[in-house]
Amino acid sequence: MKKLVAWFKTIVFYEILVGMKATMSHLLHYKPITVQYPHEKRTLPDNYRGMLGLLRYDDGTEKCVGCDLCEAACPSRVIRVVSAEVPAEPTKRYAKEYYMDMTRCLFCGMCVDACPVDALGMSREFEWSVYDKRQLHLNKEQLLAIGDRAFPVREKRLELQHPNVAFFNVSFGHVPQKPN
Amino acid sequence: MTELSLRLAVSVVQIAAVMGVVMLTVMILTLAERKVLGWMQDRMGPMEVGPYGILQPIADGLKLFFKEDIVPAGANKFMFSLAPILAMVPALIGFAVVPFGPSHKVELFGITIEPFVISDINIGILYILAFTSIGAYGIILGGWASNSKYSLLGGLRSAAQVISYELNVGLAIVGVLILAGSLSLVKITEAQAGGFWHWFVFALPAPQIFAFVVFVISAVAETNRVPFDLPEAESELVAGFFTEYSGMRFAFFFIAEYANMVLVSCVAAAMFLGGWNAPYPGTILAHVGLEQVAWIENLAWFTVKAYAFLFLFFWLRATLPRLRYDQLMKFGWKVMLPIALGNIVVTSIAVYLFPRG
Repeated sequence: MKKLVAWFKTIVFYEILVGMKATMSHLLHYKPITVQYPHEKRTLPDNYRGMLGLLRYDDGTEKCVGCDLCEAACPSRVIRVVSAEVPAEPTKRYAKEYYMDMTRCLFCGMCVDACPVDALGMSREFEWSVYDKRQLHLNKEQLLAIGDRAFPVREKRLELQHPNVAFFNVSFGHVPQKPN
Repeated sequence: MTELSLRLAVSVVQIAAVMGVVMLTVMILTLAERKVLGWMQDRMGPMEVGPYGILQPIADGLKLFFKEDIVPAGANKFMFSLAPILAMVPALIGFAVVPFGPSHKVELFGITIEPFVISDINIGILYILAFTSIGAYGIILGGWASNSKYSLLGGLRSAAQVISYELNVGLAIVGVLILAGSLSLVKITEAQAGGFWHWFVFALPAPQIFAFVVFVISAVAETNRVPFDLPEAESELVAGFFTEYSGMRFAFFFIAEYANMVLVSCVAAAMFLGGWNAPYPGTILAHVGLEQVAWIENLAWFTVKAYAFLFLFFWLRATLPRLRYDQLMKFGWKVMLPIALGNIVVTSIAVYLFPRG
């Protein structure tokens, strides 16, 4: 009897009919999960890690002190920093040149974690496709521009405004000195 | 002389009309397939060109028309150019004998014309089978002339597959031919008039339901569609026999595939599902006294049947995975062939014992 049922199921293509019923039910209860991307966009999660940018203080000076820790932390060797002394202030340093090769970046956020002065930030930009990949080799001005437009309110962590930390920053006199 | 030229003009008009409808259907099919497949897989299908993507076939056609025509190095250039034409012409030429509507004759300028069939030759179905076999040459030659291993493998698979399954198509329709007593598609369709219980799928004394199933499966295999799309298996052979083709030549293969689908659907509708006959005796328009326009209803029924069959192609494609090569051959020779042969024997005995009036 069991064999007869199996045989009958074979000759009427029972399994195929079950599959066709499933596809037909999806056709009749049509609920697409597609997001029509350029026209409608997903809401990004709060901790989305997008394009990297260099940040400034509210007064417009760069936060970066040229310590090279981001370069050391980066697993893909995206970052290249050329550090230099601030003219006429031998205790302070800044990044004279700062390059990021975004073709290699995997957006892990380790450079942001490594930065002692919170000079790097990850924006929520992700539409960075270009026709020429050399355009993804960003210099300091471009990174600062990304930071400027991504973080209009610059202070993410107020404790880094503390004089003990700010002492190492490129302040050119605007940030208070460490009290003696 | 004038009669000859008049006949020629009428034939040319008929051919142009049928070609136009077939090409339009192919255009609709390319969009409909992507849409239906998308809907069945919870996607949307093409949505960009025009409202809900309805202009997508035009965009595709323009793109293929303006694309660069590449002949790969080491390819046999003559065969490479010949193959797409050899694939497309047989697919389109078969429509010459398909009756799209009722076969009443119209007197026009002193000659009689049949408006809904280009040419009612008495071996119609044989003619279609012969020319679809030639279509396989296009595929095989295209695979061989490309000078690519993927193309060659696709062409070889196609050769084996088309030959195995064409046998089943030929044997599956023998039962219908016994019942109808004719090879002409017009006569076969006329023999099914008077309600769906006269269609050859259900017709007494020998319902051709098994032959119909064999025909449907073999037709899917013959048009190289899923689940029998081994000649163009994307995951194994890139694109099979048309891997190296681009531009208009690729479009020719593409049109050939879809035209073959339409042709097979038309043949299935005409041979098993009563062609242009409505599933009830006569037509509603004739019953209410509009005999002159009753052909509209018949034409609509033919279209509905052909499109239902085409939808089945899409439905199967959305549902089934691809068969393995040995499964394909085993299924064709060990399952389909005995069923088709048994159907011939049973039908012959039934028709001998209970002759149709």
